[in-house]
Amino acid sequence: MVKVYSISNCPWCDKVKKYLKSKQVEFTECNIEVDEAALDECRKLTDDDAVPVTTADGKNFVLGFDKAKLDALLGLSS
Amino acid sequence: MAAEKKHIQKEVVIIGAGMAGLTAALYAGRMNLRPLVLESGLIGGQIANATGIENYPGLPGVSGRDLIAAVQEQAEGFGAVIDEFDPIQRVSLKETPKCVETESFVYETDVVIIASGMERRRLPLTEEKKYAGKGVHYCELCDGHMYQDKVIAVMGGGNAAVDAANFLTKYARKLYLVHRSQLRADEISREKLRENKKVTVLLETEIKALHGDSRLERIGILDKTSGESRELAVDGIFVNIGVSPNTTLFKDEIALAADGRIPAGEDCRTAIPGVFAAGDVRQKEVRQLTTAAADGTTAAILAEKYLANRKRGNVLW
Repeated sequence: MVKVYSISNCPWCDKVKKYLKSKQVEFTECNIEVDEAALDECRKLTDDDAVPVTTADGKNFVLGFDKAKLDALLGLSS
Repeated sequence: MAAEKKHIQKEVVIIGAGMAGLTAALYAGRMNLRPLVLESGLIGGQIANATGIENYPGLPGVSGRDLIAAVQEQAEGFGAVIDEFDPIQRVSLKETPKCVETESFVYETDVVIIASGMERRRLPLTEEKKYAGKGVHYCELCDGHMYQDKVIAVMGGGNAAVDAANFLTKYARKLYLVHRSQLRADEISREKLRENKKVTVLLETEIKALHGDSRLERIGILDKTSGESRELAVDGIFVNIGVSPNTTLFKDEIALAADGRIPAGEDCRTAIPGVFAAGDVRQKEVRQLTTAAADGTTAAILAEKYLANRKRGNVLW
């Protein structure tokens, strides 16, 4: 399952979620503002202090909105 | 071999979905021009990140997100189509029709309204890349939350920087505002910052270096008045040191001004017939949300006039 780590009021998080929806990719949203376990998970995964973070396998991830990288990560055609 | 891209005819293509582009879309939509708006960054542009806009008439304190959502809805309600997932690869503006080629399509259009706005300048230090996302940030709304009870520094002295600093005080234990000269932000924003006991303002101070093992731990700063260099322990910095125009795409098509903006008068007409420049990307003295909306209005109305004249055989620009 694809996971998107995000916060509530974050324009780039919104853009990633909108893109995944436009490509009919099902995903779970992990709001790190309210979910401390998700925050730890996100930090462990990326070693960064930034969102949005998208992952499908909990190992490889894309930080921010980068269409080409998201397509490659999720096997999407442009 | 890649499939040939589909060609689509349009009357008006608007590049950029900030306030200028969306307002142009709203007006062009109302004039039944069925505008297409292409945006590869954030819809709303710079104000998508604005936490509270105090100077937009009639909407005191509105968030950038809410304001832009309302204008977007208004524009789409009048038939504008906004595509934010099909980045532009190249444009050719001099011939007729003009071409805007994206990843997926080639748009052939009579009018192009360039409203591509500006983007934040990156911190001009070689080690910036090493710490990007690891202590160096450009989006307060996205990443501020990561700095609960931490020490933050904000770089910059304009309205965007001071507003970012005011916003980040809700997370920070301590916040430094570091700026190389005097603050240029509105007095109301400066006053709010001064009143906050968490904040220390360091003026006439330049950031010279970033330090830390795997993530940012300290910044090197220079007090230009005393000539003293020192290090400041911080957990993260948010960079707001100005903006530069998004005009790389047009540099081979239009003669840009020295600052990278597009020369055009108050009528938004560029040197190329059928090409308008609107909003912050246009070379002008005052760049506000209200003037961006005004430019979008002007460009759309004069675009409609240009198209109507051409249909009557009048090709004057």
